Amino acid sequence: MANNNIVELKDVFVSFDGEMVLDGLNLQIEDKEFITLLGPSGCGKTTTLRLIAGFLDPDSGTILFEGNDLNGVPAYKRQVNTIFQRYALFPHLNVFENIAFGMRIKKLPENEIKEKVTDLLKLVNLSGFEKRRISTLSGGQQQRIAIARAIANRPKVLLLDEPLAALDLKLRKDMQKELRNMQKQLGITFVFVTHDQEEALTMSDRVVVMDEGKIQQVGTPKDIYNEPKNAFVADFIGESNILDGVMLKDYLVEFSGNKFNCLDKGFNDREAVDVVVRPEDVDIVSLDNGMLKGTVISVDFLGVHYEIIVDIGGFKWMIQTTDEHFVGDNVGLIIEPDAIHIMKKSKYSGLYGDYSSYSEEMDHISENIEEE
Amino acid sequence: MNKKTFGSRLVSAPYLVWAAIFVIVPLVIMIYFALTNDAGNFTLSNISGIGKYKKAFLYSIVYAIISTVITLILAYPMAYFMTKIKISAQRMILLIVMVPMWMNFLIRTYSWITILANKGIINSFLEKLGLPTVHLINTPGAVILGMVYDFIPYMILPIYSVMSKIDNSLLEAASDLGSNGFSKLKSVILPLSLPGVVSGITMVFVPSVSTFYISQKLGGNKTLLIGDAIEYLFNAGPEYYNVASSLSLVLMILILLCLAVMNKFSNDEGDIIV
Repeated sequence: MANNNIVELKDVFVSFDGEMVLDGLNLQIEDKEFITLLGPSGCGKTTTLRLIAGFLDPDSGTILFEGNDLNGVPAYKRQVNTIFQRYALFPHLNVFENIAFGMRIKKLPENEIKEKVTDLLKLVNLSGFEKRRISTLSGGQQQRIAIARAIANRPKVLLLDEPLAALDLKLRKDMQKELRNMQKQLGITFVFVTHDQEEALTMSDRVVVMDEGKIQQVGTPKDIYNEPKNAFVADFIGESNILDGVMLKDYLVEFSGNKFNCLDKGFNDREAVDVVVRPEDVDIVSLDNGMLKGTVISVDFLGVHYEIIVDIGGFKWMIQTTDEHFVGDNVGLIIEPDAIHIMKKSKYSGLYGDYSSYSEEMDHISENIEEE
Repeated sequence: MNKKTFGSRLVSAPYLVWAAIFVIVPLVIMIYFALTNDAGNFTLSNISGIGKYKKAFLYSIVYAIISTVITLILAYPMAYFMTKIKISAQRMILLIVMVPMWMNFLIRTYSWITILANKGIINSFLEKLGLPTVHLINTPGAVILGMVYDFIPYMILPIYSVMSKIDNSLLEAASDLGSNGFSKLKSVILPLSLPGVVSGITMVFVPSVSTFYISQKLGGNKTLLIGDAIEYLFNAGPEYYNVASSLSLVLMILILLCLAVMNKFSNDEGDIIV
């Protein structure tokens, strides 16, 4: 193989009942990487996973596995295994038989199966659970058994469909670390699907941000966070103030009625752009020293920092700061050149990044999570 | 007594009354008749005299087992097939399965007579084709056919209902782990649909073993089944009520024993699989 891609999707289209789910998807997955498909519900991330698993055929396009076309190869012949959203453990089998399921089909000798199950249970920290029934296990334990069962067949690629969605926060954090360690230890490719951007950033080598059946951006967590390609990515990954701006010339942008030095170049003169400023990159100073001037309209204490909404000429900025401010304060803002990120205008421009309807947006996000 | 339990007792009261009048009281009456003679004195002679009906019991159980097995063999693939097709088609087939249940059992049995009779539909058809006619009516085969036909919905429905509830992700997980067609059926679908099979067997075996009328009309009274024997005796007059009741009692105990054995078997099965 000339390249290091273990899975490759080329011009993949999928539609259900006339509705486009994957719209010309192109994706290369490298061998032994931890790659995360991230996006809101209905963005096509789970569909992509099911294509690789073989539960679904594309309407058109090709899927390559180690350079070979997977078209027509049924799921049971593919060297990938899946961890399902609700684990899909067999309720009629005990822990041992669940993990041994794949090895029994391969007709491995009994002593080898026994040895491997013991090893796998040790790997997932559930030694001694062989005889337990699935229904007696907690969510976290079922999760671990599902992992053990999926890697028992030594897959080259492990597909994980929102495996942590049903766990509580503390357990989820622990499992994130464990999965990451396991991936390094096993040295196999993990394709992880989630709608949780924090999870995606902490765990992945690369993140694929998807929306409406299209890939919006592929990159390392740092790239995605620091250099979002459009307003959708900027808004979906972390918090962002996204403003209409005009690129006056290289390294100089105008927004909110002010000119700012920035680090971006290569735009046309006077090109309309989207400007992203992360809430943690804004400094609040006294009114006189500010580049921008505004009024504090809401303050929330979040423990580590305060989340403050400042009204500047009608646009509501979100600012995260460890200093306390009070509603009604008139403050100045300073934005350093490296805090400014310029993006080309896209169809997402103007949809995100203003915090005037902040609480409604939060409601909307939490609804989405419940649907998942 | 707190309010809640009083309330819940109140809600179940109509059923309890119903059960008392139509289940408990008849049972007690049956047991009373079974253990007394026509003068009303206690006796075990009815029970000890059922040896005469040994053959009828045996035929009933053999016929019931055969028809239950045939029903299962026909119904299981049917139920499996039904879960694999479009929902609208599933509803259509469910309707077709259930329609005969809305018609009277006697009418259905009579219609088989006209189909199977020596001058019936099948034989007239064979005659028209110039083929030799076959003797169908009044054979054990006709009785089994009638039983299978009558009871098959009670096998299809519970199996279908359990099978259609099997989580599709379990089947995907089986494929994912390398299992295809037959091994998926054997190691996932079959064990998970077992509860439906057990209740289907129960719902077919119990009415089969106590059935009457089918054997009279389609079997030509050649083989006396225990259900027919009980019917004859009750029809023969009050002096036979005691014997008839004792037969009913023994039949009931036999059925309970069969069910207990089967439940034991299905539990064992569960353990073996685990």
